Amino acid sequence: MDPIRIDPKRALDEALRAQQKLAASLRTLRQVEDVDYGATDKEEIYREDKVVVYRYKGKGKPTAKAPILICYALVNRPYMVDLQDDRSLVKNLLALGEDVYIIDWGYPDGGDRWLTLDDYINGYIRRSVDAVAKHAGVKKINLLGICQGGAFSLCFTALHQEKLQNLITMVTPVDFHTRDNMLSHWTRGMDVDLFVDTLGNVPADLMNWCYLTLKPVRLNQQKYVAMLDILDDKVELENFLRMEKWIFDSPDQAGEAFREFIKDFYQGNKLVTGGLKIGGKDVSLKNITLPVLNIFAEQDHLVPPSAARPLGDHVGTKDYTQLAFKGGHIGIYVSGRAQREVPPAIHEWLAKRTR
Amino acid sequence: MAKDHGATRTLEDWQKTSRQYWEAWSDATRKAFGGTADATSPDQMPWHEGLEQWSRMFDAGKAQNAQSETVERLLAGARSYFALLQSMADQSSQGNADPQAWTESLRNAFNFPGADAALVDNPLARAMRELSGSGAKGFEQMMEGLQPALREVRAMLDLPAFGYAREHQEQHQRMAKAWLDYQQETNRYNTLIARASKRAFELFEDKLAERGEPGRQVDSVRGLYDLWVDAAEDGYAEVALSDEFREVYGALVNAQMRVRQAMQKEVEKISNDLGMPTRTEIDSIGKRVHELHRASRNRAEDDAALRAEIAALRAEVEQLTGTRPIAAQPQGASIRKRATKPATKSSKE
Repeated sequence: MDPIRIDPKRALDEALRAQQKLAASLRTLRQVEDVDYGATDKEEIYREDKVVVYRYKGKGKPTAKAPILICYALVNRPYMVDLQDDRSLVKNLLALGEDVYIIDWGYPDGGDRWLTLDDYINGYIRRSVDAVAKHAGVKKINLLGICQGGAFSLCFTALHQEKLQNLITMVTPVDFHTRDNMLSHWTRGMDVDLFVDTLGNVPADLMNWCYLTLKPVRLNQQKYVAMLDILDDKVELENFLRMEKWIFDSPDQAGEAFREFIKDFYQGNKLVTGGLKIGGKDVSLKNITLPVLNIFAEQDHLVPPSAARPLGDHVGTKDYTQLAFKGGHIGIYVSGRAQREVPPAIHEWLAKRTR
Repeated sequence: MAKDHGATRTLEDWQKTSRQYWEAWSDATRKAFGGTADATSPDQMPWHEGLEQWSRMFDAGKAQNAQSETVERLLAGARSYFALLQSMADQSSQGNADPQAWTESLRNAFNFPGADAALVDNPLARAMRELSGSGAKGFEQMMEGLQPALREVRAMLDLPAFGYAREHQEQHQRMAKAWLDYQQETNRYNTLIARASKRAFELFEDKLAERGEPGRQVDSVRGLYDLWVDAAEDGYAEVALSDEFREVYGALVNAQMRVRQAMQKEVEKISNDLGMPTRTEIDSIGKRVHELHRASRNRAEDDAALRAEIAALRAEVEQLTGTRPIAAQPQGASIRKRATKPATKSSKE
């Protein structure tokens, strides 16, 4: 039997439908406002250089005993966790009674070229944790690290565990040398010293180009073909544009920190193989003995599950929980399933462990 | 004769549907925007031209800046899709059932004429073009043929420099060599992308073969397009995860950095000649400022810790000597009191 049976009239209908959508978009694209993000009000509680720590304001008073500080990656903006009213990890956590803070790294410029991982982890994160603890009036807080921010949170916990009650990692790479980790595979032939010595800070456009080439046809073409379907729907179009804005709203990367991260994590895989030092101090995941919740996405093309799953084998804690989410690296925050599954899972896990 | 008659009728039907398509498009745009689509030679007009017209109308209406980038991406992605729509409709109108013919038709659809020439300098677009274009077929052989010429240019660059401008000449030679190396690594990269393209079409044929069973047939152009995307990504991933790709990718990035460094050196020389600050000088200053900033912050933290420790010790001393805890007193008062009292040993000593 023929594998393809496309009626020419049906093909024509498809083309006409697509053209009608295009025609409709001439109106809808003019109706949509310049999309904004952030569903939840927040207040600044700490500022240092370009780093700002915010506290999100919930509708009611938090009922949780200790606050959560979200530590996002450096490579994208943190508002992904509070993108819009119906797609917000933050909003859902607040509704469950959690007290949520977040570190906004800002946009590094030439003045930040020499920031190291020591500056980020033993400096900014440590002082942000102290600021949150002081603001909330507690001795220890909960840390929630996302992606690269998760790797930073692991290092921070290994070095400053006394400041934390619980650690949650989301889509966090731990073993960088698994076979399906395309990003890591590509970095291993790079002379990162030459790279950073030449570029200084790593331009965001270069980073975005690299991410797009992980799935070039799907991310650079198929996604926009699918956009044709929603061109006549103002709400869907705004959702799409908001996501686009987030994807390409990327800060440059501070050169020295980038050099260290690529060398020690992507090339050296030192979180797993050992020998990692941050600011001259040994970082061993075995030192992490507090409760750990590790959430990863099963269809993640940036941090494959194989890179995130091994955390349990390397931390020293006896209280380790992992949650495999059916979705991708972004879907874990913005999909409908994520809204239903992820915040309650975090809340329930914390409720059993926070004193 | 009957066959010829049938073919003529199919062609007429096809021309009729194409005309309907353009009339409908003109009608839709008129209603939505008050504009008019070009109505010349609808039978000959490529379908993605509708998209180009849309683009022109969109530009004319001055899109908001925040969305215009997305619109550009939409255009780039949808052009291929419209070319595919036309190609597939054309193919099905001929009643062709051979999967290989479909595959070739698909290959041609992605190689449509009128592609934006500006995209050629975009590495990803170039990679995309070669991922899908049949023109990439003989790429490896072509690069093989160019090797002798490249070797000759390289040999000339190895000639010794001498005289007053020797250093300058050597720098230019280094820059030219770096550029040639970069070209060579780009070619190696493109060769692998071409291999991924070839593999994508092989996988596409496999995926099509799996759809021969009843109930699994592809019955829409979008379905076919999505199937091709799956095959393209699978083919690309196979190549991109290979050890060879890792080596080539690293070499390409490193070669590009060497070109940039050579150019930066040239700019530094010019800046020096003009008495302007150079990147090296600014980096050096930036590094010193950063180190000072870090040292001052560490000192501030150390000072704060010391102050806290002193306060705690004072409080302990006050308790041991029977006076009120220091926290309950104004700081000046406590200092005055301390100054009038004889020193007492604290438990910490």
